[in-house]
Amino acid sequence: MSLIKLRGLEKTYQQGKIAVPALRGIDLEVESGEFTTIFGPSGSGKTTLLNMIGCLDKSTAGEIIFDEHSINDLNSKELAEVRRYNLGFIFQSYNLIPVLTAFENVEFAIRLIEKHSKKERRERVMSLLEEVGLGEMADRRPNELSGGQKQRVAIARALIKEPKLVLADEPTANLDSETSKEVLELMEEMNSELNTTFIFSTHDPQVMDYARRLIEIKDGKITNDQRRD
Amino acid sequence: MKFLMNIAFKNMFRNKLRTIVSILAIAFAVMIIVFARGLIDGMIEDTYSLYIHYDTGHIKIIDQEYEQKERLLSLQYTVNGVGNKSFSEMKEDLNNLEGIKMVIPRLKFGAAVSTEEELVQMLAWGVVGAKELQFTNLERQLVEGRMVKSGREVVMGTKLLAKINKSVGEDVTMVYTTAFSSFQGATFEIVGKIESNLPLLNEQLVFMPLDTAQRLLYLNNESTELLLVTNNREQANEYLPAVKNYLEKNGGADKYLAQSWKNGNSFIQLLEVSETIYNFVYLFLVLLSSIVVINTLVMIVKERTQEIGMMSALGLKKKEVMLLFMLEGSAMAVVGSFFGALAGGALNYYLSGVGFDYSAAFEDIDVLMNPIIYPTFKIEHMLFAFAIGVIVTTLTAIIPARRAAKLDPTEALREI
Repeated sequence: MSLIKLRGLEKTYQQGKIAVPALRGIDLEVESGEFTTIFGPSGSGKTTLLNMIGCLDKSTAGEIIFDEHSINDLNSKELAEVRRYNLGFIFQSYNLIPVLTAFENVEFAIRLIEKHSKKERRERVMSLLEEVGLGEMADRRPNELSGGQKQRVAIARALIKEPKLVLADEPTANLDSETSKEVLELMEEMNSELNTTFIFSTHDPQVMDYARRLIEIKDGKITNDQRRD
Repeated sequence: MKFLMNIAFKNMFRNKLRTIVSILAIAFAVMIIVFARGLIDGMIEDTYSLYIHYDTGHIKIIDQEYEQKERLLSLQYTVNGVGNKSFSEMKEDLNNLEGIKMVIPRLKFGAAVSTEEELVQMLAWGVVGAKELQFTNLERQLVEGRMVKSGREVVMGTKLLAKINKSVGEDVTMVYTTAFSSFQGATFEIVGKIESNLPLLNEQLVFMPLDTAQRLLYLNNESTELLLVTNNREQANEYLPAVKNYLEKNGGADKYLAQSWKNGNSFIQLLEVSETIYNFVYLFLVLLSSIVVINTLVMIVKERTQEIGMMSALGLKKKEVMLLFMLEGSAMAVVGSFFGALAGGALNYYLSGVGFDYSAAFEDIDVLMNPIIYPTFKIEHMLFAFAIGVIVTTLTAIIPARRAAKLDPTEALREI
């Protein structure tokens, strides 16, 4: 079953009087549980596409169907609801809240949902932190963690609410190759264990090796879509 | 909500210096408000009391013509009874009206004492000594001797006594103009000395028994004014209609003017208006300090743009982003206002004991004001300033908070 369907998706940015097309008619379907990478050179439209799929931005034309619901006509409040309950994000620069501990940063995402008791929340956060190998570092603040550890916290934060889809924009761009490998293995492991769909953008060939589906994008168009077993 | 409060509180410590400066700005403004309110309250309260004691009573009855000529101390327009009722009957009737506690007659006239160097002019008041002691706070200021009772005796202020080079127990000869415009003189025994900060009491006034003044001026059973003391000064306006009704019933409506202390003196009316104006000044003061908080929050929004983008991506709604920043602003407001209110309260507590000497400023001003102002210490002032500090600052924090909430998540995430 398709989790995401994009039909003729277009996005044009207006820079003064000049219209700059970022996406030019994207058609794409992503199934549940896929581990997909979108790659391409800088400025090819990878981030714009992820933003569209992540309900962070609205398209100029075309249709986005998420979990069998069109999200084209949703207002900003409704889009926030979709993100809150269904999506997880991993950012290149981690974007952890510096005044919160690793535990609190992960807890932040689940507190937005407000369906868990305090005890349940604590157990879930601790169990996930242990799973990403940071059980001992739950009380540390981001400035006391390495880049790889911060990204692990970010992965835990993205997964804590058991989203249908996790979007990661260049998740290993700020990490050395060894740490990148660890983070990718962790993401792969989470994908297999939880059956959470992952879509991440990159232009790092090492990262692409981990993906089971490779989507190449150039000048706002999909130029190659390849599945690997 | 609770977790947003937790984050807002923790965020306050991200840039401690900036937070401290913002908190100090609010604290300073709130402290000034507490102090200013205490000072103005002390001044107004004191001034009201002085005017009531030495000018207006709670209700004042004078001849309508006398109002125009009061400064000239005219003896032509007196209170001398109403209709067929004598002065004494009029006093008794007024005293029997509902809410009227006391009727105080005063006969005011000009007098002078000649010393070797100069002719010292003074303001003589014929009074019922016992009633004056009961109504005013003269007893506390009588530092030597006693208040006048009967016969040819006077009480004067310390500075006036020094001017005429006399002391308690000595005799003094005064000259004055009678109701028939004849120039006469009489000798009195000085039976008491008043020590007061108020120039009127200390260097201008001379008290003598009412009956003595009436005899000397040929104004038997007359006074220049009648002051009515009510059960509650704030209800003076409620008792006034009964007084006016009495005057009208007895044919005195055309002759006499009855006014409550609130309407009878333009300076008091001015003070009442100024109280309202000061409230706007306080508001303006907090608004000024809020600019520091707005500036801080604008900087914070700029610094945390990417973080706002991340929060939006995680599903935080615009109103929640706005709330987060408003909570941070109001947390600073609460802390600043709390310490400001405490500091202002402590300052007023201290100054309510030692006072604030304004004598130099009041030297040439002809108003009944105590030159030493004692700010009042009231919890109410602290609560008022705290509330205004928190409310105004929180409301002004809406401006940067809205700015944060309006950020487009994709733009915010791109910000470095």
